[in-house]
This record gives sequence, C-alpha cells and structure tokens, in this order.
Amino acid sequence: MNAAQIRFSTLWRREVNRFMKIKKQTLGAPLLETFLYITVFGAALGSRIKQLHGIDYVVFVIPGLIMMAWSINAFANNSSSILQQKFQGAIQDQLSSPASPAELLLAFSLGGFMRGLLVAGLTFVAASLLVDLPVDHILVLVPSLFLVGFFFSQLGVLIGVRAEQFDDVAFAQTFILQPLIFLGGVFYSAQLLPQPFQTLTHFNPIYYMINLVRYGFVGFTEVSIALSLLTLAAATAAIFVVNLRLFSQGYKLRA
Amino acid sequence: MPATVSAVLQEQALHIEELVKRYPTGVEALRGVSLEIAPGELFGLLGPNGAGKSTLIHCATGLAQPSAGAIRIFGHDAIVDYGPARQAVGLAPQELNLDWFLTVEETLDYHAGYFGMPRRERRERTRELLETFSLTEKRDERTRTLSGGMKRRLILARAMMHRPRLLILDEPTAGVDVELRLELWHYVQRINQEGTTILLTTHYLEEAEQLCDRIAFIAEGQIVGEGTSGELAARYGVANLEDAYLALVGRKELSRSHIEVAAS
Repeated sequence: MNAAQIRFSTLWRREVNRFMKIKKQTLGAPLLETFLYITVFGAALGSRIKQLHGIDYVVFVIPGLIMMAWSINAFANNSSSILQQKFQGAIQDQLSSPASPAELLLAFSLGGFMRGLLVAGLTFVAASLLVDLPVDHILVLVPSLFLVGFFFSQLGVLIGVRAEQFDDVAFAQTFILQPLIFLGGVFYSAQLLPQPFQTLTHFNPIYYMINLVRYGFVGFTEVSIALSLLTLAAATAAIFVVNLRLFSQGYKLRA
Repeated sequence: MPATVSAVLQEQALHIEELVKRYPTGVEALRGVSLEIAPGELFGLLGPNGAGKSTLIHCATGLAQPSAGAIRIFGHDAIVDYGPARQAVGLAPQELNLDWFLTVEETLDYHAGYFGMPRRERRERTRELLETFSLTEKRDERTRTLSGGMKRRLILARAMMHRPRLLILDEPTAGVDVELRLELWHYVQRINQEGTTILLTTHYLEEAEQLCDRIAFIAEGQIVGEGTSGELAARYGVANLEDAYLALVGRKELSRSHIEVAAS
C-alpha cells in the first residue's frame, strides 16, 4: 500500500473501530429495535392484516425495516462520530494530517455506511430465518440499498459538521429523519391512505427509497423505479458535493 | 519566483510572511506576522494569553485558515501544497485533545497511519515511543483513564510518531510536575540536537531562556521583538528575559529586581 492508501484505510479503520468498541449500543440496540418492530408489526398486527397487495404483511414490512436500519444507523454513526471528535478536539489529529478533504469525507462517510450495512445485513439474515423473504430484483436492490446507505452517511456527516451540540444531532434524527421514515410507508402502503395524506406522502423522499428497496425484495412498487433510482443517485451526488465543499472550506472544522 | 529567493525559502523550516487571521466575529488574532525559523533551530514564541500564539500554530498546521499572508514549511506552501507541508510537521497542542475511544497504543498507531506510515514501521516506532515516554505499561488503556501527566506524554509521543522535521510544542509543560517537565526538556534538547527543528510556546520564561536559540515576543497579534534572550533583554534595557517580557506586557513593577529593591 502507498502512503495515501495507508492514510485512507487508517481513517476508515478508526471510524469502524469506534462503533465496534461500543457495539452493544451501535449494533445490539438497533438489532433489538428492528426485531421488536418485526414482532409487533409482523406477528401481532400481521395476524389481523394478513396481506397487502397480495404479499404477506410481515414480508411487506421487512424491506422497509432493512432500509430504515441502514439509513438510521448510517446517519447516527456519522453525525455523532464527527460531533464527538469536534467536541473532544480529537478531530484535529486527522485535520492536521496530509489527508485531503475528499479522503477525510469519504472515510467519515464509510464508517456510517459500514455500520448501516452490518445492522441491515444482520436484520436480513434474522428476517430470512423467520420468514420466507424473496429477493426478486437484486439488480435494483443492491444499488438502491447502497445509494440509500451512502445518502444517509452523507446526511450524517453534514449534520455532524454543522452541529455545535448533541441536541442538534438529536433534533435532526428525532424530529426530522424518524418522522419522515415512519411516514414514508415502512409499515403500510401509501395507496391505502385517505387524501390528502396519500398525496402528501409523494412529497416525502423516503417514500421513494422504501419503494425501491421493497421492489428489490418483493417486486411491488407504487412509484417509477427508474426515476426513483435516478433521483436518489442525483440527490446522493448532490449532498456529496455539498459536503466536499464544506470539507474543502473547513466549515466548522477549521477555525 | 527567482531561483535565489526560492532557494532561501527552501532552506527555512518555517517561513511566515505577513500572516493575517481575522475571525468572522471581526477579531483580528494575527495582524501581519512575519517569522523565519531555520532548520535545526529551537525557537521560542512567547506572549501573554490571547496574543496569537496558538492561532499562528493553527494556521501553520492547517487547523485554522489564514485570512492573508503566506506560510511555507521546508519550502512547501502550507495552504496550496498542504500535503508535504503537513507531513513535515508534528503538533503537540496545548489542549489534551485525545480520542476517548482509543487506547494509548491505538492513538500512536492511528496517528502514524494518518501520515502514511507502513504497519511494520508503525509498530516499531510505537514501541520505541511508548518506552521513551514511559507509557509501555499503559499501552492497552483507554486515553480517558490516563492522568493529566500521562495524557501530556502521550500527546508528545503522538506528535513525534511520524518523525516530523518541524515539531511544534504549544505549551507542552503547562500543568505537568517538575519531574516530567525536566524529562521533557531533556527529550526536546536531544531531538533538537538530532536535527529536529522545534517551535516552542511557553509561559515559563526560564524554560525558553534555557532551551531556545532564538525567541520572539508576540503581543496583540504582532511580533514585537525577536532575537536571543540576551538581545531581547538589551533591547528593553533590562537584565534578563523575564524583565524584557514584563516590559513588553507593561508590568515592570512585577520585576523581581524591582521587588527586591523595594523590599530592601
């Protein structure tokens, strides 16, 4: 490995090492949470609803839970890691190294991406043991999940960089991200909602992400797959460019 | 740039020219600072709190962005050509800015990794510095469990990990016991003799007087005096560096000789 590769792998390793050292909180808790959702919405509610659009209710719900696990963990990891390091001043060690803004941004992003991947992957394995979970369109599923993971990793970085106190991160996650995910159709089909909620749901970007992942697993969607995938790719690229600009300017990182 | 000028700049370990740092609040922390440190020199930067010492260091290490002026480290522009410039610098900051999640050993290993050092070399260097700074027994402990003195040792070891040619020590002996302070003095002198250029900021004037080849006084964001401790004392018409410093900050009445005369 050359110096740049060593530098990048170390920056990335530090991020993974951080969440692995507190895995009860970073991996265990989200897994338990997802398991509880499957139990409550799948087993309890599923015994009353049975099927949605011809798909077992629990199977209908699981793709959204996997997407939710990846997105929330990617976001939470990066926003809290960056804020903690800013708070401790420890981020100065990385900032005063020869690492470029792009290297720093990608390494921070990949930490959350990896945590999301692990939680989502374990959720998928656990769900597959409990129910018969199909993977109908793997060529849509894999890029969709990766884009979702990378988008929320970037969002976590953005909020972490902008945040000045832990309240700022908690606000973004509790009052913006989680309501958008819950109201984006993880547990229901938007077609079942009365107006104006059905129309309003179409303004929620998470709705399109859930549909992409659900289509990848069970082949059901309420939106255009190609358009959603393109829009998600464009949004991910846009937030990456914004973050890269912030890192290059040293916004709230360098005095 | 003419070849002769370029050659002179290449020779300087640190070349700062008309450096200005203006914060968004309007506060001007540095107001046209110019400074040159030759390779192998042990240079002291003294000044009262808020004079601009840490801001100058932050600008040189990429932790702050200058508003105007130029910084070159061993000939590399610290803003444009920041990679080789930062590679040449080791920073031991004033704050104990350790990562709470890492152990002592990981702190050193990761730092060296950020500077592109291969694994085998990292291991050897980590072992060597743990030994030098009496941290070997603490190698597996998380940094947050260390005492203040141990944290200070670790910060110094971390700054040395990638074998910087220019070592910046921002108040390295603040709050450490006498034993550690003397140990650090010996270490700083040794690595300086081995060729490492050192920029030291301190509030302990006897430390600067004993260790530094040259000293600069900084006040209100400007360099107001530069030279050996003898030259500075002569410039202010006093007997020693401490009195020169007191003259600089306008507190001559605190001079020990003044107090002794008054007492007799």
